Amino acid sequence: MNAPDNLERRARALYREASRHIDPATAGQLRAARREALAAATAPVHARFARTLVPAGAFAAIAVAALMVFSPRETAPVQAPGAAQTVEADGDLPPDLSNTDPSLMQNLDFYDWLATNDASQASR
Amino acid sequence: MESADVRPDEPGDSAMNSAVSTLEAELLANDAQAVPTSLDAFLAQVERRAFRLAEMSLGHREDAMDAVQDAMLRLVRNYRDKPAQEWTPLFWGILRRRIVDLQRRRKVRSIVVGWLGGGRDDDGDELPAWEPADNGPGPLDRLQDAQSYEDMAAAVRKLPRRQQEAFMLRVLEGLDVAETAQAMGCSEGSVKTHLSRAMHNLRDQLEEWR
Repeated sequence: MNAPDNLERRARALYREASRHIDPATAGQLRAARREALAAATAPVHARFARTLVPAGAFAAIAVAALMVFSPRETAPVQAPGAAQTVEADGDLPPDLSNTDPSLMQNLDFYDWLATNDASQASR
Repeated sequence: MESADVRPDEPGDSAMNSAVSTLEAELLANDAQAVPTSLDAFLAQVERRAFRLAEMSLGHREDAMDAVQDAMLRLVRNYRDKPAQEWTPLFWGILRRRIVDLQRRRKVRSIVVGWLGGGRDDDGDELPAWEPADNGPGPLDRLQDAQSYEDMAAAVRKLPRRQQEAFMLRVLEGLDVAETAQAMGCSEGSVKTHLSRAMHNLRDQLEEWR
């Protein structure tokens, strides 16, 4: 390793020379990049928050909309137990055991007869 | 910290290490520059060299610009409150990592392009893997030593990555061993070893420079 300096010196000189001879377009791009970086750091806090919060808010809105569209509907309106029974009976739906007044479950045969009787009278 | 560290002071490297060490003072003396007190001044001082260094590593102007731009942004955003003396190793460390990221991304891209059958033309010759080659007239055309610079850049690109980094940061950029170690995320001994091997390889490749 008799002449290590030559390679290092020459390599470094070439590198420095090449760095000095940057074409104007590239130099302009570098200046713009520097200004942009400095501006990003000195931007007002609310602007930076806005940049973060706007996409987050948009994402949240999309997520809520997706949930509303794709989630199974359990939209039984909150009503008094008696009223709920009326709606279900009118719609010919099977009674919801969890929401039904237990006293109504004791005479199911009677209610069945009553419903059949009502239906036959209505058809006359 | 990367796992690419090597054991320092291996046989055959000691002579080079000592020679490299003797250059340290000279390199530092040649490059003694006042540390800018504002980030704007600091970035203005290093931006062109950073671009050249990234270009040398990546071999592509647009990628080099992206790397420098991102390094600037990250330095300002994350380290603007650090003392000015720390900006140099921080900046070069960030730039080094950005370069590595871009190299890895390119590799993945070229693999994907290969899978999709876009890697070869009708004659079976290999096509550019990610983007058209940057064939436009470059600023180096105006340089008197453009060919020498291109030779050096080509030789540096052939080095293993860690040797490349040690050479560029230590020799070209003139960082001291501690700063280079910080920027590379390894020990000072590893820096010396990587550098001595880089010099050995470069001397083989650039024999006419002797």
